[in-house]
Amino acid sequence: MTKKLLFAGAFALGLCASWIVGVTRADEPGVIEFTETELNRILGHGPWPMQWTPDPSNRASGNMHAIDLGERLFFDEKLSVKHNVSCGTCHIAEYNWTDGVKRNKGQAQVDRNTPTLMNMRHHRWFALDGAADSLWSQSMRPIVDPRELASNATHVAQYLRKDVDLSCRYEKTFGVSPAAQDDEAVLVGVGKVMAAFQETLVTDLTPFDAFRNALARGDQAAASLYPRDARRGLKIFVGKGNCSTCHTGPMFTNGEFHDIGVPHFIDGDGKDGKKVDGGRHDGIKKLIASKFNLLGPYNDDATRSSAIRTTHVKPEHRNFGEFKVPSLRNVGYTGPYMHSGEFLSLEQVIRHYSDLNVDRLHADGEAILKPLRLTQRESADLLAFLLTLDMDRAPPWRGKEYAHPPCVLRAPAAGESYYAP
Amino acid sequence: MRVLIPLLLATCIWPVLACKPELPGAKGETVESPKYALVFRTQPEKIEIGQHFSMELALCAKDGAAAPDGIRLDAYMPEHRHGMNYKTTVSSAGAGRYRAEGFMFHMPGRWEYTFEIRAGGATDRLTKSVVLQ
Repeated sequence: MTKKLLFAGAFALGLCASWIVGVTRADEPGVIEFTETELNRILGHGPWPMQWTPDPSNRASGNMHAIDLGERLFFDEKLSVKHNVSCGTCHIAEYNWTDGVKRNKGQAQVDRNTPTLMNMRHHRWFALDGAADSLWSQSMRPIVDPRELASNATHVAQYLRKDVDLSCRYEKTFGVSPAAQDDEAVLVGVGKVMAAFQETLVTDLTPFDAFRNALARGDQAAASLYPRDARRGLKIFVGKGNCSTCHTGPMFTNGEFHDIGVPHFIDGDGKDGKKVDGGRHDGIKKLIASKFNLLGPYNDDATRSSAIRTTHVKPEHRNFGEFKVPSLRNVGYTGPYMHSGEFLSLEQVIRHYSDLNVDRLHADGEAILKPLRLTQRESADLLAFLLTLDMDRAPPWRGKEYAHPPCVLRAPAAGESYYAP
Repeated sequence: MRVLIPLLLATCIWPVLACKPELPGAKGETVESPKYALVFRTQPEKIEIGQHFSMELALCAKDGAAAPDGIRLDAYMPEHRHGMNYKTTVSSAGAGRYRAEGFMFHMPGRWEYTFEIRAGGATDRLTKSVVLQ
């Protein structure tokens, strides 16, 4: 019996060893070995794309009429009081749905860098401080922010009611005319159709995904096509760099909040014209105070199971200075980086982690954050890996020009869709 | 003699071990202190990083220990020196059974469940480690 167990153990060990060797053989000479833990982490960054089901808190989620109306409104400057700014002013498709600047300006300059909208449908919290628990409530916030669209529910509702085509599309989506709803309900409806549009923005497969999938199916020939420098960088990412501890899973983010020692002073009325950006701490306060959170009356999910994160979120002192961990998919397209656009390039981001100033971290914050002390080559390898998380082609553009016929209130024909699949 | 000594010891401490918490259905993980014993299982059973999960738990007091007034559940990452970003809520299902909602492990690594049992003004703290890859 003991011999059998020993034999089984040796056989299992042999299988494991052959898997590791098998993965690395293509790299000869100069083997880059992945440990079993590293391999598990690599495989955990896929498969991509992730499964998705419509957002139960938003009855417009996945609705083709809502997606169409949401796209129109996303680029519509008439939603802003001065008719000069739309959501598309800062979220530009060619810039991976961000804007390429440190901090953008609507009616006035904002405090934070514009996050990408790509893959937003898979997030748990929205905005860099997580002040919104749904994509639809987050979509309403810039509309009413005085520094952005500087609009209000009345302006938005009146605009939709007066525009016959938009009004028709709104009714097609929700089964009710904006004229029959109060201003606030229309603003929420606008947030929900805009969310439906943003949910369609998903990144393609990347060179990393091809490598990861090749490992998953044991295809060494395909795995060997992955560049050696990227492979070395990946080993740092899932190994000594501990990057994948927060940048987890297929999205390369755990969707939560951390302090990584980036300065959080912003222009304000404090000492020296500065004030502190409270980050997640303030985000939780705003979330709890908002009538548009998932515990409120506008959540379309009667079961309220979608509100579990909001019910249980816990504000703590360490939340000061914490900001959302960004997804790294298409990271090469999303600079400048960090919540304030502090770093213009990925090289600067890597240098930040390499030389990390632990004195800037919260005393009660993440204890495993240490300076990585990367060599020049290691930094270059890490960069090479990160760039394999970019799609091979430029981010998809969806045009502002609408070829669709004017809205007519009728049931859609079988198979009718506004978009090609 | 080799058999007799453990048998005698088992007989001596039997009253202390007499408490045996049970959950209906599939078996769970057991945790004990000198005063209390509990068994728990998570729903879903396999915990994924970044996914909320709940816990069912059965608790009993060993002989001589005060009956529990309540229990608080949490989890902590000792090596990271921080806990969860969420606060659990616990509801009693009667007969020493509880249900906790709101767990979420947002990072891989070693997590430590903490079970704080309040009884007669004192708190007994039990822990159980789990490692997430």
